[in-house]
Amino acid sequence: MAALRTASRLVAPTRSALRSSFAARSYATVTENSAFDTSASRPPVSPSKTSTVQEPKPDKDAKIKTFHIYRWNPDEPTSKPRMQSYTLDLNKTGPMMLDALIRIKNEVDPTLTFRRSCREGICGSCAMNIDGVNTLACLCKIPTDTAKESRIYPLPHTYVVKDLVPDLTHFYKQYKSIKPFLQRDTKSPDGKEFRQSPADRKKLDGLYECILCACCSTSCPSYWWNSEEYLGPAILLQSYRWLADSRDERKAERKEALDNSMSLYRCHTILNCSRTCPKGLNPAKAIAEIKKSLSFA
Amino acid sequence: MAAASRASLLRQTQFLASSPTRLFSSTTQPLRLLRTTPSISSRLLLAPKWSAVSRAAPFSTTSQRNLLPPGPQVIEGTVNDPAAVPKVDPLHGSYHWTFERLLSVGLIPLTIAPFAAGSVNPALDAALIFSLIVHSHMGFQSMITDYIPRHKFPTMRKAFSWLLNVATVVVAIGFYEFETNDVGVTEAIKRIWHAGENDATIGKTDLSSLGHDGKLKNLK
Amino acid sequence: MAANVFSRRALQATSRRLVAANPSTFSKTPLSRLPAPAAVAMGQHIQNRQAATTQVSQSGAQDILAAQRRHRPVSPHLAIYKPQVTWYLSALNRITGATLSGGIYVFGAAYLAAPLFGWHLESASLAASFATLPILAKVALKSLVALPFTFHSFNGLRHLVWDTGSSITNKQVIVTGWSVVGLSVVSALALTFL
Repeated sequence: MAALRTASRLVAPTRSALRSSFAARSYATVTENSAFDTSASRPPVSPSKTSTVQEPKPDKDAKIKTFHIYRWNPDEPTSKPRMQSYTLDLNKTGPMMLDALIRIKNEVDPTLTFRRSCREGICGSCAMNIDGVNTLACLCKIPTDTAKESRIYPLPHTYVVKDLVPDLTHFYKQYKSIKPFLQRDTKSPDGKEFRQSPADRKKLDGLYECILCACCSTSCPSYWWNSEEYLGPAILLQSYRWLADSRDERKAERKEALDNSMSLYRCHTILNCSRTCPKGLNPAKAIAEIKKSLSFA
Repeated sequence: MAAASRASLLRQTQFLASSPTRLFSSTTQPLRLLRTTPSISSRLLLAPKWSAVSRAAPFSTTSQRNLLPPGPQVIEGTVNDPAAVPKVDPLHGSYHWTFERLLSVGLIPLTIAPFAAGSVNPALDAALIFSLIVHSHMGFQSMITDYIPRHKFPTMRKAFSWLLNVATVVVAIGFYEFETNDVGVTEAIKRIWHAGENDATIGKTDLSSLGHDGKLKNLK
Repeated sequence: MAANVFSRRALQATSRRLVAANPSTFSKTPLSRLPAPAAVAMGQHIQNRQAATTQVSQSGAQDILAAQRRHRPVSPHLAIYKPQVTWYLSALNRITGATLSGGIYVFGAAYLAAPLFGWHLESASLAASFATLPILAKVALKSLVALPFTFHSFNGLRHLVWDTGSSITNKQVIVTGWSVVGLSVVSALALTFL
């Protein structure tokens, strides 16, 4: 053992030459010409020459905002949902509601559950009810008025899986029921893709952008009461997207599927859908067009 | 460890599923202790600069929930099955909607006419009131469809639909009587509206001018 | 020769220390390739997770999910949604419509039943009894009829315009909504004091 140590000391001067890059990266080595005194008997640096790590004091101009967030834990299935309050300093938080939620989850309460993915309003995962309006948390700026407290709920009148996560199974099943794909019986004349005039393509603007975040459907009181049978604005907008497509050849079947008292006609033009759409689309207009085409055709 | 507790939780949930006690209890539970999970409090000690999790209040449900209880979530079929598409029924779909709109459009001139002309002939008056009755009937119908879903309350739905049908017929007969025996709806409203405008005695003179059958002897 | 032996020893010590300090990064980084034999020799390459699993069949999993679904609460809706001119006016449209239609229904049924109960619901007697009411009650009753009537009429027009697919942008909806509110209040007042 002692021999080993002396041997290693002998090797020491040549160590830098032998050291592989791997060792060099992982060893916190101190070179000979280091400015630090590495001897065991080194005296402490006087406090006047060092910086002090202080207990974090609340910032003088901290912008403390309170967030009330809906909580429900499926692991306690008999408990009632409750509101939980969190306070954050807006100076240390990103500008969007999603930043606040992520910060709460990272730094304050890891049990807070919500969906999020793209943080730029294209995936539709973080749809929730913020300050009474359905929107995407990633597209919703935190109001800088700290006197007003923010309230965050899951999408209204949905079954809650946990905290801010709603179960959208039925919503997706409804989407599937409208056959959201091109249906054609004839082949294209040249055997290539189905062509469309620029004017026909233009009809799909404002329809194809829908990301199915379910903000509009869950803002619709009619969908609240009849979500089992009424398709809701989002699905109807998607339905119109295929009705308006010049390439689709099953328009009659599509219309027939809507021609009953529940699927389409529970829409009473309340117009919460267009008001709330985080993508600025107009589901109400699409539904009005469907109704028109069904009634006078 | 976590997986083990999770599995037991699943079993617990399954067990609880057999006792549907919670879902319809709308009254708030008294004295719910504020729950904070250990993980939260330990995090708090680590990061004391936020006075996080300051309050936790049980969420109070609205009274609306009692009116239209959504009931427990039941999903038919698997995730990959599309939702059922109802049968084609234009009589309650597109025809119904179109008729409702045409009727509403028709009501516009019928409503304006009495205001514009001052008085209307009995035919127009009858057209107005019977259009209004049909309009009302359709309005009530859509309320029943909205608020009493067929699949949830089939009996109540049927009862209310028939109640409405009977009521509409009764009301229609009532207004037929009124139209044939009295002065007509618009005229009646006008008289009631202006009753006692200048002097409380005008009403009394009106009463004295009644014939034995309740009809006015000399219409204005 | 000696240098070679000692350098290998140093390498071994390094890998041991690395594994002890941060096993996960150790296994992920490309560094792991170099001391891998050492790690294998020391039995450090196996991750142990304490987990108890239970086998659940496909249908059993569905049952568990269905049971969990039955316990899910419904998120709040009416009470928390922001009051907006869109759905408030729509609700008012239905309420005023129901009030007026309810009035029509009650009067129609009562008029039919009047002879049975000896009520006097002829227009003349109604007018006479209305005339005897104090002025405040008259104004209150009149406005109670006039406001729902004007509101439902004007808002109905708005709905009919929407059904043609026009004036249905957010801005137009808000502007026409508040115009209808103003117009119906003014016209109701005019009707009341006509």
